[in-house]
Amino acid sequence: MKTLVIIPAFNEAANIENLTKELISFGYDYLIINDGSTDETAEILRKNSYSFLDLKENVGIAGVTKVGFRYAYENGFDGAIVIDGDGQHPPGYIHALLNEVAAGSDYVVGSRFVTEKKPLTPRMLGSRLLCLLIRLKTGVKVTDPTSGMRAMGKRVLADFAENMNFIAEPDALCYVLRKGYKVREIQVEMKEREGGVSYFANPFKSVRYMVNVILSILFVQW
Amino acid sequence: MNRTLQIFLFAFSLLSLIMILRSVYRNRMNIHYAMIWIIFGIVLIVISIFPRLISYLSRILGIYAPANTIFLVTIFFLYALSFYAYLRISKLNDQIQSLNYEIALLKKKFEENSKEQE
Repeated sequence: MKTLVIIPAFNEAANIENLTKELISFGYDYLIINDGSTDETAEILRKNSYSFLDLKENVGIAGVTKVGFRYAYENGFDGAIVIDGDGQHPPGYIHALLNEVAAGSDYVVGSRFVTEKKPLTPRMLGSRLLCLLIRLKTGVKVTDPTSGMRAMGKRVLADFAENMNFIAEPDALCYVLRKGYKVREIQVEMKEREGGVSYFANPFKSVRYMVNVILSILFVQW
Repeated sequence: MNRTLQIFLFAFSLLSLIMILRSVYRNRMNIHYAMIWIIFGIVLIVISIFPRLISYLSRILGIYAPANTIFLVTIFFLYALSFYAYLRISKLNDQIQSLNYEIALLKKKFEENSKEQE
């Protein structure tokens, strides 16, 4: 099975080199997508002759992953996996997710909480709320709806490459469940980001994210 | 309608129509998008000259104050227009994203080719 590792990168100059070296050492086909970074991300990618797409205009995480899916689909890949460019998804787990896809799952989420307990932080409270909503809507119990580490087979890849209209990961998960795709979760460990700034450091953006995702789950993702 | 209010409304309508037309002449607004605004400007002027039209419409709709009819019609118009604008923005967004992707793809191929030739 030919699979592509998709790595969205926005201002990840501090992390991207280590991550890519590790990916190459595993021997994966990969594609880094630079989302109009304002730091030296593009120069680093070019200098090292990595496989990458350099987007001129910033399109945001949802747009970048869509570009990745489209590239994978148009270049005849049978599956794809998304891992963050900030190094929080250790490449050691890619194998486990892709195996699950090869075994017949359509959509595999790398979850931090399949066997581990979810801590009681404010952010995880949000995660619990999303789990509850997805469960009410689809009847399926998920453990880590915000996880950005996701692998998918050809059917979902084709679907996403064509018509993708999501706010973020949780409503995408809701969509694939509603569509009746075979979804699995695999336990993974995630690291704290090695450098740069997280999107959710800004409380206003966190609230907007939650509101938008909840509206999308409730009203859009049938 | 009060005479002063009528003059005020007329002046305002004329001014807004001039503003719209000037934007079109100076190529600041695409002519396809300007049409609806020109029509709106003309309608405003007509209403300010013949306020009886609004009284007549109010009677048909059963609205007591003609001012409320103006509010209702204007809000409806702006609502529809901004909805249409959102549709357009979404489409433009998709188009930009698509072009963005195509350009990045071409750049990738170009860089790979020039490396092979070295």
